Amino acid sequence: MAIILPAAIVSPDMIFSSCKSAVKDEYFTEENIKLLDEIGETIIPATSTSPGAKAAQIGQFMKVYVTDCYTPDEQSTFWYGINKIKEISSNKYKNQFPKLTLLQKKEILQKFEKDAQEYAKNKKKSTSASGDAVQTGKGNQEAMNEYGGHFYPMVKELTLFGFFTSQPGATKALRYIQTPGSYKGDVPYKEGDKVWAT
Amino acid sequence: MGNINSKGIKDNTYDAIVIGSGISGGWAAKELCEHGIKTLVLERGRNVRHLIDYPTMAKDPWDFPHRNELTLKVKEENPIVSKCYAFREDAMQFFAKDKEHPYIQEKPFDWIRGYQVGGKSLIWARQTQRWSKYDFEGPARDGFAVDWPIRYEDLAPWYSHVEKFVGISGNKDGLETLPDGEFLPPWEMNVVEKSMQKRIMDNYKDRNVIIGRCAHLTQPKEIHLEQVRGQCQARNLCQRGCPFGGYFSSNSSTLPWAAKTGNLTLRPDSVVHSIIYDDKKNMATGVRVIDAHTKVITEYFAKIIFVNAAALNSNLILLNSTSTRFPNGLGNDNGLLGKYVAFQNYRGTLNASMDSFLDSYYYGRRPCAVMMPNFRNVYKQEMDFLRGYMVFFSAYRGGWEHAVAGDQMGETFKQAETEPGNWGVSMMMQGETIPKETNRVSLSKNKKDEWGIPLLSIDVAYDDNDVKSLKDFLIQGAEMLDKAGCKNITSNDSKQAPGLDIHEVGGVRMGKDTKTSLLNKWNQLHECPNVFVTDGACMTSTGTQNPSITFMALTARAANYAVEELKKGNLN
Repeated sequence: MAIILPAAIVSPDMIFSSCKSAVKDEYFTEENIKLLDEIGETIIPATSTSPGAKAAQIGQFMKVYVTDCYTPDEQSTFWYGINKIKEISSNKYKNQFPKLTLLQKKEILQKFEKDAQEYAKNKKKSTSASGDAVQTGKGNQEAMNEYGGHFYPMVKELTLFGFFTSQPGATKALRYIQTPGSYKGDVPYKEGDKVWAT
Repeated sequence: MGNINSKGIKDNTYDAIVIGSGISGGWAAKELCEHGIKTLVLERGRNVRHLIDYPTMAKDPWDFPHRNELTLKVKEENPIVSKCYAFREDAMQFFAKDKEHPYIQEKPFDWIRGYQVGGKSLIWARQTQRWSKYDFEGPARDGFAVDWPIRYEDLAPWYSHVEKFVGISGNKDGLETLPDGEFLPPWEMNVVEKSMQKRIMDNYKDRNVIIGRCAHLTQPKEIHLEQVRGQCQARNLCQRGCPFGGYFSSNSSTLPWAAKTGNLTLRPDSVVHSIIYDDKKNMATGVRVIDAHTKVITEYFAKIIFVNAAALNSNLILLNSTSTRFPNGLGNDNGLLGKYVAFQNYRGTLNASMDSFLDSYYYGRRPCAVMMPNFRNVYKQEMDFLRGYMVFFSAYRGGWEHAVAGDQMGETFKQAETEPGNWGVSMMMQGETIPKETNRVSLSKNKKDEWGIPLLSIDVAYDDNDVKSLKDFLIQGAEMLDKAGCKNITSNDSKQAPGLDIHEVGGVRMGKDTKTSLLNKWNQLHECPNVFVTDGACMTSTGTQNPSITFMALTARAANYAVEELKKGNLN
C-alpha cells in the first residue's frame, strides 16, 4: 500500500485484504458507521455555537459517497485506513475507537494527519525521479492523484465536505441562504462572522 | 407526390418550420409567431416546461445524495460531458449523455449538448456582450477569413430588439470595443475588484475593466413582467432552471411568448433527419422527422425553414439533406459546408491571492464576473498572432475548504474553517480562434445513430495562433495581477480539448460570395433561399465575446426579413 507507516503496524494481512478490490456494502455496518461518526466528530466537534459532524450523520454520508463516488482503489485505501485506526485503538489503547477519550482519539488522528503530510512531501520528491518510485497499491494511481494516496486526507475531506454541505453544518456552523434576493459587493466584515455556505 | 394523402400533407403543413428550440430557435419562433406566421418548432429532445420540469430548482445542498458531485457510474458512462463545469448532480438532466448520443472525434473534441425543449438556453452561462465594429471588420482587414456580409450597424438595432426582451444587466461603459446595449442596472464589483479595476486601468491606458453583462433581470421592466419573469435573486443556481425566471431561456421567455399568439406548434421528441428539397420547384419544401421513441418517419411542410439545431447539428442536418440537385448536402455547391468551424480558446487561467481588505465581504451570489474587452490587435494588427481575447476575473474570499494553519482538528480548527479566508482572485481568457478549412465536420460513411442518421465526425484542433494567444494572455494576465497588487500568482494551461468552451461556431458561414460562403447577409442559403441558418453555424468568425446574444440578434433580424419576403411573395 501507499502508506508510509512505522513497519510495526503494517501487517501483511492488512495489505492483502485492503487491496482486494471494491468494497462490499457490508463494510458499512452499523458499527463502522458509528466509528466514522466518532472520527468525524473528533475532526469537527459539536461546540457551544453549533453541532458537529455526528449531528450531520457523517458516517451515513460517507457510506453513500464512498460507495457511489470512490473508485475501487480509493475504497480500498479508505478501508485500509479505517482498519488501521481500529487496529491502533485496540493494540495501543486497548479499546475501541468510539470508547477512547477525546485526547486518545485526537492522538491517533493527529498521527495520521502528520503521516499524510510527510507522505505527500516524500511523494512529491520521489515521483519526479520515477513515476513509480512510491509504492502504490495495484492500479492505485487514480487514488494517488486525487487524494495523495494516503487514506487520511480522504477521511478529513469527507468530514469537512459532508459536514459543511449538511443542513446543520451549512445553516448552523456557516451561513446559508438559498435565495439571497440581491447581491451586495461591499458588506462590512467583522471577525467571527461566518463564511457563506454556498 | 400523387400517392400521399393530401389531407395528411395539409395537416402537416405550416407557414414556417424551425428546427431546434434552443436560444436561437426560440427567437425564430417568437418573431415568426408574432407576425402571424403559423410555426412548427421541432425539438429532438423531451419537453421541458418552465417551472414544472425543473425538479431541482428549490433543492438545498443536503437534498442531493452526493452533495452535487457526480457518481463514479455517471462519470464512467459520460467521460466527455462530465468534464463540463455545469454537469453536476443538480443539472445532469439537461445535458445529452455520451452513451446515448455518440459522435466521432477525429481529434479530441468535447461536444457538449442539451437535447430538450430549450436546448442549452437552460444551462448556458448567460454572459452577453455585443460585438463591436472591429469584430465584424476583422476577417477582411486581417485576411484570415472571408468578409462578413454585414457590419455592426446592420445588427445594432437587432441587438437592441433582443436585449430589451431578454433583459440584459450591464453598465454603460461607452467603449467602442464593446458597445453598450439596452441595459438593466449592472451588478456590483466587490471591493477587491474595484481596487484592481483602478490599478489596472491606471497602469494600462489601452485596457478597460468593466462589470460583466449578462441575461439577468436586475430590475424587471414591463416587458419582462408580461413574460411572467421576475427579478434575479442572486442564487446562482441557474442551470437547474430558475423558479423566478430571473435569467433568460427559451423555456421562460420566447417559447411561451410565441405560444401565446396561438401560432406556435411545438413538437418535442422529433429528431430531424433532413430537409426535403424539391428539384422541380427548386426550393426546400419541408422537413423529414423521425419520432425519437417510435422511430416513425413523418414529413412536415412549410414555405420557409429555419435551421437552429445548434452549430454542429445544423451542419449535420444540412450535410444529410441530399437530393439530385444537392448530392453533397443542401446548398453545398462549393463544397465548403462543414468547413471553417471555429470555437473559443479557454485554455489559460491564473490564480492569485490578495492581502488585506479583510474588513469587507459580500452578500449574495453574483451571476457574472468582471471583464476586460479585447485589447490585442484591435485597431491594427500588432502582435505576432491574429486577433485577441477577452479577460474575465473575479475576487472572492476563501470558503470553508480554505487551508488553515495550526490545529487540523477540534474546536479551534472548526472555528477557523467557519470563517472566511483571505481574498483570492481567479482570471481566465476567452480567445478568438481562426476559422480554417481544415477545422471541419463531416458525416460518417458507415456509422449511424439509433435513428439511422450518420454520426457526425469532428475534426477540429488548436493551432499555433491559439498557443501564441494563450501565452500572451498568461504573461499579460500575470503582469496585470501583479500590478493590481496580487500575490502568489500562478498560471495554468488546461490544455482542454476544443468543444469544452461550448462556443463552437461555423461550418455554414455567411459571406458575400457564393463561391466562398454558404449563407448571404440575411442568413439564407445562397442556393436555397427559403432555408435560413441563424444559429452558431452561420458565424464567419468567432469574436472574443460570448456568442449567444449575437445568434439571437441575427435570428430576429433574419426572421423579420423572412416575414417581409413572404409577404412580398418572394419565398413561395
